[in-house]
Amino acid sequence: MGKTSFVAKPLTATVLVMVLALVLTACGGGAKQTLNVFSWTDNFDEEVLESFEEQFDAKINYNTYSSNEELLAKLQAGDSQYDIIQPSDYMVGTMIELGLLEKLNKDNIPNAANIVPTFSAPPFDPTGEYSIVYTWGVTGIAYNKKYVTDVIDSWEDLWNPAYKGKVVLLDDSREVIGMALIKNGFSNSTQNPDELRKAVDDLKALVPNVLAFDTDNIKQKFIAEEVWIGTLWSGDAAFVQAENPDVEFVVPKEGATIWADTVAIPKGAKNKELAEKFINYLFEPEVSAKNFESIGYGDPNEKARPFHSEEYLANKTIFTSDEDLARTEWLVDVGDMLQEYDRYWTELTSGH
Amino acid sequence: MGRNGTDLSGADRDTAGRPERGNRGVTSRTVYRRAVAAYSVAMLAVLHAPLVVLIAYSFNDSRINAAWSGFTWKWYVSLLGNERVLEALGNSLTIAAASTLIAALLGVPAAVWLHRRKRQALWSGLFYLPQLMPDIFMGLALLILFSRLDIPLGKWTVIAAHVTFCVPVVVLFVLARLSGIGRELEEAASDLGATPRQTFFRVTLPLLVPAIVSAMLLSFTMSLDDFVITFFVAGPESTTLPLYIYGLVKRGVSPEVNALSALMVAVTVLLLVGAELVRRRGETAARAAQPTRKET
Amino acid sequence: MLRRGGFFAFFPLAWMILFFGVPTFLVVLLSFRERGTLGEILPGYTLEHYRRLADPLYMGILLDSLIVAVVVTLLCLALGYPLAYHISRQSRRSQRVWLFLVILPFLINFLIRSYAWVILLRAQGVVNTALMKLGLISQPLPLLYNDGAVLLGMVYGLLPFMVLPVYISLERLDRRKLEAAYDLGATPLRAFWHVTLPLTMPGVLTGATLVFVSSSGMFVVPEVMGGAQSALIGNVIQNQFLSARNWPFGSAMSVILTLASLAMIALMYRAFRTAGGKEPM
Repeated sequence: MGKTSFVAKPLTATVLVMVLALVLTACGGGAKQTLNVFSWTDNFDEEVLESFEEQFDAKINYNTYSSNEELLAKLQAGDSQYDIIQPSDYMVGTMIELGLLEKLNKDNIPNAANIVPTFSAPPFDPTGEYSIVYTWGVTGIAYNKKYVTDVIDSWEDLWNPAYKGKVVLLDDSREVIGMALIKNGFSNSTQNPDELRKAVDDLKALVPNVLAFDTDNIKQKFIAEEVWIGTLWSGDAAFVQAENPDVEFVVPKEGATIWADTVAIPKGAKNKELAEKFINYLFEPEVSAKNFESIGYGDPNEKARPFHSEEYLANKTIFTSDEDLARTEWLVDVGDMLQEYDRYWTELTSGH
Repeated sequence: MGRNGTDLSGADRDTAGRPERGNRGVTSRTVYRRAVAAYSVAMLAVLHAPLVVLIAYSFNDSRINAAWSGFTWKWYVSLLGNERVLEALGNSLTIAAASTLIAALLGVPAAVWLHRRKRQALWSGLFYLPQLMPDIFMGLALLILFSRLDIPLGKWTVIAAHVTFCVPVVVLFVLARLSGIGRELEEAASDLGATPRQTFFRVTLPLLVPAIVSAMLLSFTMSLDDFVITFFVAGPESTTLPLYIYGLVKRGVSPEVNALSALMVAVTVLLLVGAELVRRRGETAARAAQPTRKET
Repeated sequence: MLRRGGFFAFFPLAWMILFFGVPTFLVVLLSFRERGTLGEILPGYTLEHYRRLADPLYMGILLDSLIVAVVVTLLCLALGYPLAYHISRQSRRSQRVWLFLVILPFLINFLIRSYAWVILLRAQGVVNTALMKLGLISQPLPLLYNDGAVLLGMVYGLLPFMVLPVYISLERLDRRKLEAAYDLGATPLRAFWHVTLPLTMPGVLTGATLVFVSSSGMFVVPEVMGGAQSALIGNVIQNQFLSARNWPFGSAMSVILTLASLAMIALMYRAFRTAGGKEPM
């Protein structure tokens, strides 16, 4: 019976493999405490995680998301099984209002005092009770000086017809619309419909010159020189510069959006104490230095400075200068206007 | 008929050497056949083009898939040390295997039953729905369901979700096959005294095997590839390969993933070549035992 | 017979009702709820989301997406049928090899393969570099970041959904009917149109429906391979659940998309029911 055995053999094999696998996986995990971390990818140095596991006799499960909204959606739709999450600035504000975050017990996190004063009481969490800034960056203009020979110092430069088809913008409605708002002298989180319309009309003139909206592969696009100019996060810019030295990064004169990733604990987390210990551990000066140099973003830990390399501290792209920082603005929740923002975004990205 | 179906033989031509009436299209049939064969090979090449690129870049000495910087094995080495990827891979394979199997066990009886109902089109329509619903809708809906029922998220919630979108594939494939079979064979079997159970297992089921196997193959790939639904219903210890890969995307997909893809291809090829060899040895043995039986 | 068959059908039906019917019902309900300022769900019920959808912007995108889905389906049919035909004409062993080779690329993650297409098609990619080296073009061709690239990506990703069902139907095809047609003087094309195609209709319809249904909600391809204005309804729905934090609106959009697609599928089945279907063999 050739035909049935053709099915039966692989079937039985599959069943055996599956049963074996399930049995094996069920047998794992002894008496160790587990810490469930839900964060961006590559947001920690592997060795830092491993030494935490050793020191505190714990197992870290590291799950990832690639946008704040995915994090929010998952927390809102079901029970949080996570102990550590890393929402960005405006999302922290929203989560606090929605009651999704635990208050941090600062007694368990003495190292929180190491954070640079600029970031210890950010606008989205003024009391600092719910989150601690983990890393920050600025969204500026990156350009390839091999092809872009003009001086770039203004958002207006993106509109230059000479760059048609070589412009890339982040695939993020708040970032892009915020950029156009700043360019026109408004707040990047305005709730004024006229200001919003003006900025969007401005963008509509730009979109035909844009090659693509991209957040995930934007670094590759710059490195491979598929694009010459566009909006980019400072940390990503530093990465690109390491691979392609022709790329420059600038914070335009009209201003820019500043953002921060934080570390926080969701409401109902099962291992709150262990989570707090983890946060404290992350901000040990030596651990901080190792961690942030590895992931390539700015370190908010003052006490870690002496442990960092010269190169890292001198990198202007990672450590935005104070005068540039003075022109930056945080994104905040826009309440009901979010629908208008989204509708304009739909218009811009669908060509309707 | 010859091995590949050509039936060009001397007997097809009339005394004047022209093809007989029934064979007038024979030459053009061969032309068509060759064209289709050439096309199929070209199509296969196109299907595999990305695979070739991926495997090539797994040896690229640069973390970003931008330009070629030199040959290296280092990604394969670091892959073997990357626990998270390997864990994700193991989870993905287990989940896919389990989902495919359960979907087949549920789908075949459902299809057989549906086949006998009156308004088959309506019921078929119902089974298309899971594929039709946007993934994010399904993912959130299932998460809401699980959390209302207080079911903790883990491998089994992912399997449940995957089975839900694989069952329709099985049902639809088997139904399509059943539509083409017709009742005579089953009736013949009954006439010869077979019970319904015997008819099903000895007559119907073997005829359904290609449909079932194809559906299982497709389901397996669908389960391996699913991201959005899995994202919402996976627990902290059940991360799958797509979750890992999509998460990597923001920081740049490491060539480790290319190396992993290359290894998966290699392993699958080896497994199937092995299975084929085992099969052939079995066939030779069977043939030796019954020399008078004709092999179809 | 029915009763015993009914018993076995109980489990799959119960499963689908629990894991598909109930969640769907919950989300359909969601489409009638009100959305709060922060994106939370308020206790009231409203038709506002459906009213918002009845707008040229959203209807236009929906129509575009359905048209793209139809085009992708037709392309998959045109490109996939010959391949399925070729496979079905092989010996049993060759068929297995071919099927395996066709499915093999699809074991690899779709996102990764889409990135591979980017490497192949971008301005300094493999294809353009090769063509320029051969002197066939002087400027790189814009093969990526446009609607054509989106079609390519979708067809590529959905081809097995067409090839496999068509193959299943073809494999079952009774060659004698074809022989009869040829004996009666039919040319290959006529034999195909009047014999093969109608007899493989069940497979074609299954494949077409699967491809159509999968392409109408796709969002990965427009994101990775599309241009600045290639967003389709799948992307808009995705946004509603994520950046716009408007789950009710996203649910309403999903419901409308589902209904529109079902309508089109019903039309297709009605149109082709006479052409194929349950002919006794």
